[in-house]
Parts: sequence; structure tokens; C-alpha cells
Amino acid sequence: MEKTLVEFVKVLRTAELKVSPAETIDAMQAIDLVGYRDREFLKNTLSMVLAKNPEEKETFDSCFDRFFSFKKIGSEDMGAGESQDEFDDGEFDEDGNSESNQPGGGKGSGQSSGQGGGQMAEEDHSLQPNSELGKLLLSGNRTELMVQLAEAGREVEVSQIVVFTQKGLYTRKIMDAMGLKGLQDEISELQSHGGPPQKTLSGKLKKARDRLREQVRDYVEKQFFLHADESGKQLREELLKKVKLSNLEKRNFKDVQEVVFKMAKKLIAIHSKRRKTYKRGQLDVRKTLRHNMQYDGMLFDLKWKASKVDRPKVMCICDVSGSVSNYSRFLLMFLYSLAEVLPKVRSFAFSSDLGEVTRLFQSSTLEDAMAKTMRDYGNGSTDYGRMLMDFKHNCMDDVNNKTTIIILGDARNNYGDPKSEILREMYDKSKRVIWLNPEPKMSWNVGDAEMKKYAPCCHQTEVCNSLTHLERVVSNLLRFAA
Amino acid sequence: MAIKNHDRLSSVETIQDNFEKLGYICNMQIATAVYLAYHLEKPILIEGPPGVGKTELAKTAADMLDLPCIRLQCYEGLDESKAIYEWKYGKQLLYTQVLKETLGEILDGAVGLAESVEKLHSFGDVFFSEDFLEPRPLLKALKAEESCVLLIDEVDKSDHEFESLLLEMLSDYQLSIPEIGTIKANPDRKPLVFLTSNNTREISDALKRRCLHLYIPFPDADLESRIVHARVPEVPDRLRKQLVTFIQELREMDLKKVPAISETIDWARALILLHSESLDPDLVRQTLNVILKFQEDIETVEAEVQNITNKALKES
Repeated sequence: MEKTLVEFVKVLRTAELKVSPAETIDAMQAIDLVGYRDREFLKNTLSMVLAKNPEEKETFDSCFDRFFSFKKIGSEDMGAGESQDEFDDGEFDEDGNSESNQPGGGKGSGQSSGQGGGQMAEEDHSLQPNSELGKLLLSGNRTELMVQLAEAGREVEVSQIVVFTQKGLYTRKIMDAMGLKGLQDEISELQSHGGPPQKTLSGKLKKARDRLREQVRDYVEKQFFLHADESGKQLREELLKKVKLSNLEKRNFKDVQEVVFKMAKKLIAIHSKRRKTYKRGQLDVRKTLRHNMQYDGMLFDLKWKASKVDRPKVMCICDVSGSVSNYSRFLLMFLYSLAEVLPKVRSFAFSSDLGEVTRLFQSSTLEDAMAKTMRDYGNGSTDYGRMLMDFKHNCMDDVNNKTTIIILGDARNNYGDPKSEILREMYDKSKRVIWLNPEPKMSWNVGDAEMKKYAPCCHQTEVCNSLTHLERVVSNLLRFAA
Repeated sequence: MAIKNHDRLSSVETIQDNFEKLGYICNMQIATAVYLAYHLEKPILIEGPPGVGKTELAKTAADMLDLPCIRLQCYEGLDESKAIYEWKYGKQLLYTQVLKETLGEILDGAVGLAESVEKLHSFGDVFFSEDFLEPRPLLKALKAEESCVLLIDEVDKSDHEFESLLLEMLSDYQLSIPEIGTIKANPDRKPLVFLTSNNTREISDALKRRCLHLYIPFPDADLESRIVHARVPEVPDRLRKQLVTFIQELREMDLKKVPAISETIDWARALILLHSESLDPDLVRQTLNVILKFQEDIETVEAEVQNITNKALKES
């Protein structure tokens, strides 16, 4: 049963629950205590040990239902198949099987299965299949068959299945692992030479084989939904992180948003603790006196001055003209998902005229705010000079040595006046100016691009065209906030 | 582990029954959590919106087992001298003063500094022994003779550093004091530990890993009705149904702070005090401040009072 639990944990991990080995051990101990008998009890128990926040609990519930449903459905299927098929000795039904599986099961059921076996033996007295699989199929022991099936599945690592098209492959592999070849040989042998009784047997075996194939396919499909659905998603997310943001299509936006939230969550977890830096050698007199009062004013426990690392005050200026708008969208999305660790974000949008959109993003949902921003500021040709002028008029007073200014744009100024002297002024007044440019570095100075003039007035210039880049920039922003 | 009255924890149903006797109505999950906590010797981390009975659960468990409940209320700046132990500095000082006189006798005959120090060493660290130790809640819980229920309330309010302090206690039921050594709980009578959190911040994975995690959501109508009945038995059935329906409706609305169970109970008490037999819009309007704690929420709801009250009346 331990294997089952380990597999279940694996399923949970693909569903993005962080389950540590220690928790797996805890779960085993818990199972020892509660047993497998009461499903609801087991579910509650495991949920308490393995899922550690409300969202995880929800995921856990659905995983549990899917994972542990497998057996029941399997046996129902078989029960149905059996009753229609050549095994007309109805005693070979599910409960007969499950009972016989338990040591010391009810006497009655034991008898009935014995009877069934007897009938069988009478029927094909001289003709018993020789291959392992054939014997198993005709013996009617479905539980055993199911166990074998699951074991074969484990052997061929069906849990590694990634895409839907691999279904056939894995079905085939499992069948092989269960000894399909022996069965096939036997069937063809029986068919080629032998009288009518051999023919009947081969027919039976064939039917049984086809039914088994159905079941295996079914099994693989369920495994696919259990394992691959999630890992396929992971694959897609990995891809999304690397793809150029401008190549994203509208239908991907939802996925990307999810990825952004996940990344943001990670960053929040890392940075939510406010660090302190200690100034070496500076005595904090007030703190020392107060702390040492309990020792009669004897100063033997000294306290040093420390300063809390400030959360960065971010001003974010985004180009929202056609070519760059996608990048702006995701940068803003990123920044606003970080509200917990970046409480003071002010955002501005421009293509020529600059406007503040902070309020918009605070009051409405990201989608709406984005759409409105695009509508209000998105049209027109880009004019960086104009943007800088506007910034100087409206916001320069708010810039101080704690402000980090992020500018996102391609610096394509349509041959206008770049006004880099204003940027210089911002550079002097602020803590950091970071320029994010979605274009590759080699085209930074080609055509009407003005990066050559702007770059010297920035603390940092970065190529930024995928989510991974964005994450790196934001993470650095938080790390060097001091 | 065999603590007092441990038979009251023998199965989930027993726990549920015993809780019910004490007026705490709980679902299967909660009872399962207590059951597991005792048998696996693991702390429970309880999360959920405020007012669903997280703290109450710990207190009731203590009542049920007839054990003392030691409570540690967390706040920002809580440190080990408040949570684990502190040296009784005053006492140490007083004793040194008193003992100054006898110092001569002790050092009797010792020649030179080295010999005197040698002689003093032979007395050991008398001033850093348990006699001079002031135990704080965590240490008290470990040393409790008859075991106890330890409630660490609102862990999320404490600093990150404090969480790390708790780890040793939670995983091994022991605490290390440099001057004395490691103090362990009686292996047969480990305290039953409850931690509560309002989720104002994410608790670290290290802490979560060591605990069972129980999430208590708002109860459904049926459970809430039973809770009100257990807590305020004098409310007539009809009124109880009405007010529970009303509250359940409120929880569906977009409010700054939705009313919790404790508010439902308060409201039920208030209505009893006002001798009301049934809800009506005016009465609701007057008592809205019992269940809603923000002016803007009250304003939002006031507009809807008529509707919701009618709904509640129809339901009953």
C-alpha cells in the first residue's frame, strides 16, 4: 500500500502541491492510524497532512477523487463486461472476487467461486491455455488481472506519459509487459492446427484479449488525465516563460496571467521579510538603555543601530504604443501582482502624452485597466521627448533618492528631439533609473532608436522580452532595494 | 501517550460528542484533526477567517480533557524572553548581595586568585540553575506535570524570527537553554499544541511542514443553526432559522468584513434581549451594527435589508 501512497504523492506534486518527503512519512503514519476503510476519514486525514493552504486543499480534493476512483470504476466496467460475455457462470462477479481476495472471506462466497472453478474445469477439461496471460484471462480472477495491469503500468512507467498521442504507445507497452506475445503465439498456434475445441478456445482467448486491450486503453487514458494533464500544463508554462511577449496571442493571455501570478507569488515569498542591515559600530543608545533596565542599568547587552531595508518606491513609465504595448501589459501585471511587497507603485502610460494610470489600476481589474489604458494612451506615434517633458512638469517633484524609475520602451523616437537632458536630471535625483528595452541589443541604435543617447543616463539597461526577463528584473529590483 | 481523560479522544465520533456536550459543534474535519493531533503527536495549525472558532477549539479541547490551557498571544516583537524563558535577574542580584557575607567562609584558606577561582568552580553555576529561571508559556507547557493544551494564538502576527524559535518546540517537544541544557516534555504526556493564524501573512513552509493543517471555513446554514442553538438555546426555532438565513445571505454579498459565527451568536443574544420573536426590516436596521463592523458595509446592506429580510422570512 505504500507504493500507492507514494504514487498519490507524485500525482499531487504534478498538480503543484509542495509535498515534502517528511510529509509523505507523516502521511504514512497517519494512514497506519486511520486505515483505508473509511474513505471520507482517510480523505480528511490526508488533506490535513499533505495540503497546507485553502487552495492546496481544493486541488487535493480533486486529485484524491480522481486518483482513488480508479479501482472502483475499473471493477464496475469489468463486471458489466463479464455479465454479457462468455462467462455465463455469474458467480464470478465482483464481490466473489474481492471476497476471495480477503483471507478468511465469507464461507458462502468461497463456495461459489469454488463451484465456478468446477464448472470451468468441466467445460474445457483437456484444453487449458498454456500462456500466463491466457490462463489469467480465462481464470476470471479480475482482481488479479487488475493488479497485474497496474504493475505492468508501473513497469513501463505510464506515469511519464506527456501528450495524448502517446496513448497508443503506452497501451501497446503495457500489453507487451503483461505477456501479450505468449498469448498471441498461442492463439495462432491453436488456430492453425487443431480441431474444433482448440478453435473455440482460441476464439475465447481472442475475445478476452480484445477486451483486455479496451481496459488497458481505458487505464492509460485515466493515467493520462492524472499525470499528463498537469505536466502538459507545466510544459506549456515553461514555454510561455521563454516566448517573446509580442508573439503571444490573445488566447494565451489567460495562461500568461496565471504564470505571472505564480512568479509573483514566488517573489513575494522570498521578499516578504523585511531585512535589516546593521551599521557596524554605531551604538543605539536608546535601545541599549531600555533593554538593560532589567539589569539594573548595567550596560552589558549592547544594541546596535540597524536600519530597515526600505521597500522600493517604483515609478513605472510604460510605452503603450502598438509595438511595445504587450510588454507594458505584462510589466504592469507583474508589478501590480506584487502589491504585497511593492506597495508604492505609480504607473504612467504614454505614446506621446504622458498620463498617470495608478488610480485606474488600483480601482479596477487588471484587464479593464489595461484596456482603458490602451484606449486612452495607445494611439499616436511615440514621442519620448514629449513624454520626458511631461514627466518633468508633473512628477519630477515626487522623485527623490528612494525612487526607482523603470522605463519600458524601444526608444524609437521617430527622429524627434530625444531630450536626454531630462532623463539625466531624473538620473541624478532618483535612486535608480532602469530602462527595459524589448528589442535585441544589436538593434538598439538602428534607425530612429535613441538608446545611444538614453543609455548613459540610466543606471541599468536591459533587454526584456520574455517573462523570464521580467522576473529577473523585478527580482533584482527587490533585492537591491537597500 | 496517556494523558488524563485520553479515552475522550478514542475516536472521531467520541470527540464530536464530547465537544457537543461542551457547546462546541464541530464537523468531521475538526474532530479528525484533534484525533490525529493526539495520536500522531503533532501540532495543529488552524487557519480560517476571524470568528469561526479557531481559538475556541483549543479552549474547548482543554475543557474536554480537563487540562490547563496555556496561552501564548503572539504580537510583533515577541521574543524568546517573553515566550520561552527569562533569567530572574533581580533574584540573582539579591542572592549575590546576601551571599557576599558568606563568601569569606567559602573561600576559606584559598591562596591566590587561581585557587579561589578553582574553589568557586566547584560550586557549579548556582545562579544559572532552574531556580533562577522564569518559565514563559512555551517552557511552562513542556514542564506541565499533567500535560496541557498549549495555544499559540495568531502566529501570523509574530515576526519571522519567532517562527523559527517555535520549530524545535513543535517538532521535538523540547527547548534548548544554553546554560542548562535541553528540556524535554514528558514523552507520555506531550502537550497538545494548537496554533491559530488569520492568514495576514503566509506562514513559512518549515512551520507548516511540522503541523497538521486545518482550515475552518464559514459553516453552512445547517451547522450554523446548530451552533446558535448550542450557544444561545433560548432563541426560538423560527427566529434562529431566520437569522441564520439572513447571515448566510450577507456572506454572499461583497462586504469588507463578512459576519462570522461569533457575530451571529452576538446578534442572537441581542435579539433575545430585545424580546423579538421574528425578524423585521426595522429591527434589522437598528441592530445591524452588531453584525457589521464597517460603516460602508452597513450602508451597503441597509439598501438591501428589505430584500434579505423577506427572503429570510420566506425560508423559515
